[in-house]
Amino acid sequence: MTAVSTVAQEVAGAGAELGPAVVVSGLTKRYDDVFAVQDVDFTVPRGSAFGLIGPNGAGKSTTFLVLASLLTPTAGRVVVAGADPAVDAPAVRARVGYMPDVMGVYDNLRVDEYLQFFAAAFRLPRASWPGLVDGLLELVDLTVKRQALVSSLSRGMKQRLSLARALIHDPEVLILDEPASGLDPRARVELRELLAQLHGLGKTIIVSSHILAELEEMCTDVAIMEAGRLLAAGPPQRILEELGRTRTVRVRFADGADATFPVADDTAQAALLRQLVVDDGRDVVEFTEEHHGLEQLFLSITEGIVQ
Amino acid sequence: MIVNPVIGREITERLRGLRAFIALSAFVLVLTLTAFLVYEAAGVNADAFDLAARTRVGRQVFESVILIMTVLVLFFVPGIAAGAIAGERERQTLATLQVTMLRPRSILSGKVVATVAYLGLLVVAAMPVLAVAYLLGGIRVVDIVRGLAAVLLVALLLATMVVAISAFAKRVQTATVLAYAFTVLLVIAGPLGFGVGALLDARSDDVGDRVAAPAVLLTVNPIVLVSDIGAGTTDSGGGPLSAVRDGVDEAKEANDDSWVALFPNAPDQGFDNDPLGRPRTGLPAWLLSTLSLAGLAALLFWGAARRLRAPAEVER
Repeated sequence: MTAVSTVAQEVAGAGAELGPAVVVSGLTKRYDDVFAVQDVDFTVPRGSAFGLIGPNGAGKSTTFLVLASLLTPTAGRVVVAGADPAVDAPAVRARVGYMPDVMGVYDNLRVDEYLQFFAAAFRLPRASWPGLVDGLLELVDLTVKRQALVSSLSRGMKQRLSLARALIHDPEVLILDEPASGLDPRARVELRELLAQLHGLGKTIIVSSHILAELEEMCTDVAIMEAGRLLAAGPPQRILEELGRTRTVRVRFADGADATFPVADDTAQAALLRQLVVDDGRDVVEFTEEHHGLEQLFLSITEGIVQ
Repeated sequence: MIVNPVIGREITERLRGLRAFIALSAFVLVLTLTAFLVYEAAGVNADAFDLAARTRVGRQVFESVILIMTVLVLFFVPGIAAGAIAGERERQTLATLQVTMLRPRSILSGKVVATVAYLGLLVVAAMPVLAVAYLLGGIRVVDIVRGLAAVLLVALLLATMVVAISAFAKRVQTATVLAYAFTVLLVIAGPLGFGVGALLDARSDDVGDRVAAPAVLLTVNPIVLVSDIGAGTTDSGGGPLSAVRDGVDEAKEANDDSWVALFPNAPDQGFDNDPLGRPRTGLPAWLLSTLSLAGLAALLFWGAARRLRAPAEVER
């Protein structure tokens, strides 16, 4: 079965309750001799928080532009919320909220006017605007800034307003390209909490970030890209297992010695502790599962190639 | 009824800035000054009891104000509309606009209508200046309506062209330079082409080879459009618009009363707005002007809409 026919089947299923939110198959985007994205495949489960990770120039933004119907792929096929952006861009735009990596806003509009403009641009009924704007401003914690000019907002506030803009038409899928870029630590935490809240509301969130620790807390699935190619995709734990990175436990004893033990799962971990303390009678002062974080995973997969 | 949201946003943003009021003041001030200077130059010499002389002054003030209004529109439109799309691109709002349900032609037409609406406001603000000319006499209400309609038609056509040009530029500065260069070209290209043709004709030794420069070249011009519509229908003397219209007529007469010398004696289309009742054959200059400028505007608009269809393709 060809990749395209597989995608075609998934198109039909994507609109269903349990179908994937996004299916990317053989995606390639070429500019002259440069491949921005080359033969990329991944699937984003519906309702997941999906992190797209990669160094600068990896092809993340290009992939996002294709998903958002702003770029036509050179080859391959993409299905977003049941529609192909290259074939039916309006259908994709109606179901996707896109926030680009560079933040542009209309400085001379008031905050409420800004959201009303986008409500009109999405052809939402005028009667729904006040409630919609109120709800979104409350969600992004900008209610007190309702009458303020956009130009008077801080960068973090503008980022939250931009997120509210992306949510104005209640999209199924949110595509956020580096949403935390340029934000101070507090604004980052607020944004992360907001995204977690949206994930809790059942939105499918596709996000890219350089701050891997932030994605780690939030993402249920990740894809790692480098030099336009996909290196790995799936739940982080599964990728680690596929890479042969088993769970390890670090133990420190009362006599100052320490050791690292590989364990398969929770049962094996409990058995190890029992063996050390009960069977061997060792004095254990610290028993810690070593954490293979996203950062470690990223570093172990990527090679630092820049194109 | 669904109103294009781009129109409202553009107008709100434009009127909120200080520039809008400075432009409005400058527009009215220049026209007031024009009316004053023309009145001073022509009016003071007119006998207070010579009604015919008074009406000639009224006509001159009116035509001068309409001409300067046209020149101001030609000057303002590139300044106002050059940033329409290039500005969105520069402040990085274009992508967010294009992931909405707005189609490229809606975005472009919204920008055009907003520009014309703003210019309409300027024109309305200048109405009292035209009222002075009306009180002096020599013009009718229909002349004012025709003059203003011609100015707004030029504003619409030029705004369409400039907004479209803006879609091809990445930066506002580039778009502004391109828009002004294009506008200057639009004003001078026709007369220049006609002049070169006439010069070549005059230098030809063999009289039999001489073909009068095609007068149709003169019609691809916004000032000719306004002159032909706004020069009026009453025989109350003339002003600069009448002079332009007469000049175009003369060029056409040199073409055997046709627009192009190669096809003389074009059939009479029945259009006659000459105050002296001279027969005018062929399509009227204002119609040729409108058709040629509208064709150019439509071509540019189509190209711009195509360019905006897949924005990220051209943003690299």
